[in-house]
Amino acid sequence: MCIPDKNIYKPHLATIDAIVDETHDIRTFRLVFEDEAVRDSFAFRAGQFAEYSAFGAGESTFCIASSPTRKGHIECCFRAVGRVTEALRRLEVGDTVGVRGPYGNSFPIEEFFGRNLVFVAGGIALPPLRTLIWNCLDWREKFGDITIVYGARTEADLVYKRELREWEERGDVRLVKTVDPGGNGPSWDGQVGFVPMVLEQAAPAAENTIALVCGPPVMIKFTLPVLEKLGFGDDAIYTTLENRMKCGLGKCGRCNVGNVYVCKDGPVFTAKQVKAMPQEF
Amino acid sequence: MPKTITEQNLHLLVDALLREGKRVVGPKRAGTVTLYEPLRRGEELSLDELPRRSAKETFFPVCESILSYEKREGRMTVRDVDLSRLPESVLIAARSCDAAAPGILDAVFSWDYHDEFYLERRRRTVIIGLACTTADDACFCTAVGLSPAATQGSDLFLTPLAGGGYACAVVTEKGEALLTAHAGLFAEAESIEALPPAEPAAAPLDLKRIKAWLDANFEHPFWGSIAERCAGCGACAFLCPACHCFDISDEGSETKGERRKHWDACGFGKFTNHASGHNPRDVQPQRYRNRIMHKFKYYDDKFGLTLCTGCGRCIRACPVGIDIAAVLDEINSKP
Repeated sequence: MCIPDKNIYKPHLATIDAIVDETHDIRTFRLVFEDEAVRDSFAFRAGQFAEYSAFGAGESTFCIASSPTRKGHIECCFRAVGRVTEALRRLEVGDTVGVRGPYGNSFPIEEFFGRNLVFVAGGIALPPLRTLIWNCLDWREKFGDITIVYGARTEADLVYKRELREWEERGDVRLVKTVDPGGNGPSWDGQVGFVPMVLEQAAPAAENTIALVCGPPVMIKFTLPVLEKLGFGDDAIYTTLENRMKCGLGKCGRCNVGNVYVCKDGPVFTAKQVKAMPQEF
Repeated sequence: MPKTITEQNLHLLVDALLREGKRVVGPKRAGTVTLYEPLRRGEELSLDELPRRSAKETFFPVCESILSYEKREGRMTVRDVDLSRLPESVLIAARSCDAAAPGILDAVFSWDYHDEFYLERRRRTVIIGLACTTADDACFCTAVGLSPAATQGSDLFLTPLAGGGYACAVVTEKGEALLTAHAGLFAEAESIEALPPAEPAAAPLDLKRIKAWLDANFEHPFWGSIAERCAGCGACAFLCPACHCFDISDEGSETKGERRKHWDACGFGKFTNHASGHNPRDVQPQRYRNRIMHKFKYYDDKFGLTLCTGCGRCIRACPVGIDIAAVLDEINSKP
């Protein structure tokens, strides 16, 4: 952890080291902390998030999308939809952003050792799983079969296209990529269909398997019954809640779902925990 | 022997504190209303009515800078606010409902991560409470376990006397130090005849019972019935001594400006709105439910405290007449 102890709202400064345009409105920043001591000491776990600032516009919350196993930089991936994210998008390589964090809980990766993993993601919800996917791939021998089911509305909406190719080609991962009906072009070599349906067809075995699901609420809503049908118990399914946050520190009162504070108690929850919450997310 | 202080000497106490360089905040007439405001002299103290707004901003300003940033020659620097320059303060004549609130807010601002903006102001402030001898229809401190003469949160506590002036009780060491430093302004009385404390009409609520109902009734038609008329104006939250939701935003350009923390309210429609447009609390009854739940369930779940001191300001100010005391009373009487 690397939270300043005096001013908890003060960000570290980070330089944009590289920018990748994932889609027409989704962008990845590779960030390097300017302070060498912060660069060396900044540690996080897959699933944790940070508050990123474009000075003059404010702060936005995104997960840390890179793997904790990759040192020296972090990555975030954002869609330009509002004041802060539009301001972030105007920044260029070499510009400075603010980063506060890491915050929140994380995927209990050690509990997944020896298990099979099924990642299910939709649209821009791949980044919260991508951190864990790379974490697991960097520790590949600790896990059994790894399946990734990832879909977006169209080919153009898929993020991390280069990594999808890499996962497809590495041989120790089963990648099932899909686009919604009508979202495929002539060169599309993946599936066509909504993520829950494609997951059902892919039918990963539930035995000794953990499912990790991130996506828009509607995708999660239809994916959970499929996983249940495939034999996954609610405590073998993990997801992240993507509530609006501001402080990230359990103070500003914005991200609660019932008495759960997503910024402190989450963002990672099992389906069992999510089902026990008031359905207000 | 009990200490007493005359009205005149209370004014002199304010003057003395101001001469020491302290910031003194107390009830002061501001046009047609009374507000807790920084005093310039003791005579400005106006103790006749409950201030329109709570004393919360003494510790948690409506808007405060939490850092400044500047980009020079292509390099961004972030500068901290120098908290050592915050003034030593005295909050004088805080009503029991207002004096008790900071002690409740300490929990959220000091659990796990410490919000030094709030906590440093707390450390640097002495609270002199004042008992209420009158109450209006909206007062319900007795319903939530406080009272017009409750000393919770005060360092010194003033009780109006029948013959004029105030009895001054020492509540904490911080209060004792202030009293000792100004001992000449206080007298010792053999006995005192205090004015009887106010008697709010609201009957005590069974907060445990209310919490138990809230625990079990997140989905209940009651919420729709009481809150459909809520206008989402946020007046209740802004006047409340215990509401503490806030936002953080930048003021300035991309090359120079300040980052600020400022009050927000869970009653506002966009408070929980996601970037995608999805809003978990997209209708007003859900937002009002969250307000009640936060005060009487979530804060209790987390810190074992009730986030309400019964000051009644939200009742007096609500433009559509929502009465939180009546809402609680109704919950209290539910099977």
